[in-house]
Amino acid sequence: MTALPATHSAARQRRRRPGSALIRRRLAPYLFVLPFLAIFFAFSVYPLVFTARLSFTNWRGTGAAEWVGWDNYTYLLSNPGFWGSLGNSAVLWLLIVPIQLVLGVIVAVLLNSATLRLRGMYRVAFIVPFVTPLVAVAQIWIVLFDQQYGAVNAVLGGLGLPDVGWLTTSEWSKPTLALLFLWKTTGFIVIILLSGLQSIDNSLYEAADLDGASRVRQIWSITVPLLRRTIMFAVVLQTLAVFQMFAEPFVVTQGGPYNSTTTAGYYLYNHITRADLGTGAANSFLLVILVMALSLLFVRTLRAKD
Amino acid sequence: MADMTLTERDQRETSAPSTSATELGPVGARGSRRSQLRIGTHAFLLLLMAGFLAPVAWALVSSFKPANDIIRAPLSFDPSTFTLDNYVAMFHDVPIAHGFLNTAIVLIAKGAITMFFAPLAAYAFAKYEFVGKNIIFGAVLITLMLPTIVLIIPLLLEMKTFGWVNTYQALILPGAVDAFAIFWMRQVISAVPDELLDAARVDGCSEFGIFWRVIVPVIRPGLAGLAVLTIMNIYNDFVWPVVIASSEQMATLQVVLSTLAQNITGNRIGADYATVTGELLAASSVALIPLLVLFIVLQRHFINGILAGSVKG
Repeated sequence: MTALPATHSAARQRRRRPGSALIRRRLAPYLFVLPFLAIFFAFSVYPLVFTARLSFTNWRGTGAAEWVGWDNYTYLLSNPGFWGSLGNSAVLWLLIVPIQLVLGVIVAVLLNSATLRLRGMYRVAFIVPFVTPLVAVAQIWIVLFDQQYGAVNAVLGGLGLPDVGWLTTSEWSKPTLALLFLWKTTGFIVIILLSGLQSIDNSLYEAADLDGASRVRQIWSITVPLLRRTIMFAVVLQTLAVFQMFAEPFVVTQGGPYNSTTTAGYYLYNHITRADLGTGAANSFLLVILVMALSLLFVRTLRAKD
Repeated sequence: MADMTLTERDQRETSAPSTSATELGPVGARGSRRSQLRIGTHAFLLLLMAGFLAPVAWALVSSFKPANDIIRAPLSFDPSTFTLDNYVAMFHDVPIAHGFLNTAIVLIAKGAITMFFAPLAAYAFAKYEFVGKNIIFGAVLITLMLPTIVLIIPLLLEMKTFGWVNTYQALILPGAVDAFAIFWMRQVISAVPDELLDAARVDGCSEFGIFWRVIVPVIRPGLAGLAVLTIMNIYNDFVWPVVIASSEQMATLQVVLSTLAQNITGNRIGADYATVTGELLAASSVALIPLLVLFIVLQRHFINGILAGSVKG
């Protein structure tokens, strides 16, 4: 595609300074990508290959590594702790993604209306949580949801409701973390959905208006189907994020109580702290495979419906 | 939420029978329904907005209350008890200034590397042919999908081999020319017309000169988006810093903050809890403010940055 203009200009250039300009033009891209490539190979490609090898050894960070074949993988796949961490992540996914999508679509549709006043203000307010540092917010969560002194239980008390052990009971720890995640990232999903909405042709709504379709009907029959790509994209992004969730449980609950918030990402970290590097590496790969399989599944269901 | 569903149901029920009547033009009825809907919309959005802002607002306000009041009366604020005690105690007990310094050093160095080398490499991917281009770009796309935690173990070992644990290099170099930045900037630069580059060549511009004098000025809005996104990511980055640089000397702002939370969950003793909570809210507020200000000033670029890679992918 670029061949035509390229030779054209090369010919023009040759007239000015024969040869050397063309050589420089050939060499230039190598120089331009070199710094990136150095960093990319040193800190992405090499570590990845290294993890792959590590996952077949029992190396503990010192001494000689012993090749153990698939042992780390079979150990994990037969370990209730590993499945428990996936289960915790799956529950968090269920608590987060459906709510976030419904809420996200409603808010995005409302904000997309050109006649809505204060749109800018709302949009800014919804993104504030997304730009705030997670660690700071996670700490505020700890204080807000403290069973004895927290503001949330103070509100419940004011309404005559009993205290809830938000972070200290295994029934409530997941919803509390899910709420943190929802609060932090829903604005981001709204922004993504808004951009999807802006690509929908307005004349479709005008035609539906003429046919007398109600606003809700229009959302269900025009907006949602045309937004499906964007919605699926959001689902894939959030699936990746939920299954990799690490910093939230690390700061707020340290995976507890009773491992109820030991997410897939946090479980992986546990191997590192125990210097069980081979198992950790195997765990990373299992997690990657799972996440990629889930993403593919979502993409395929999207294609199938198209 | 209740407001919204009510109004919507109201709207649906009334609009079905009135469809035929609409053609006759009951403008008044339709108008009043519209305004009801508008009030419902605003009620819903305002409620939601309050929910989104409440945690941050509560933390900011509470950080100026006496520590004991934060836990004794978490929902009230008496302006006459306004105090900076939490901040004074926090700056005394927590090495937060040092954390800010470390974050600033990493931000400047890593940010500069990203902002220069990512568009430069992306320029090569967008506008040149070279050996291995497609393979390398494929590898970039794959790393985009990988969870970051996958690389943590081998990177940690690599840093140990280099003797880089608890150094600035370790905080700055890994991820400095991030795959996402390459991917996004390649798309932005691809949109620049080739004629512009050829015209510059005819004028005797060098290949780097084309990048510097033609590409960079043209893609400035994209660069602004990349800049804010990069700042946000580096400022908020936590997982890698806590693994590689957790010493007191090297801890970044987020790492300093996270140790505070561990104090609070690890050490639940009556009076002490109040002090720690006060300091924690003060520290969180101090950490929140720079990014909030930046966001409010540069919101358009933030939104562009957040959107950029996502939807086009």
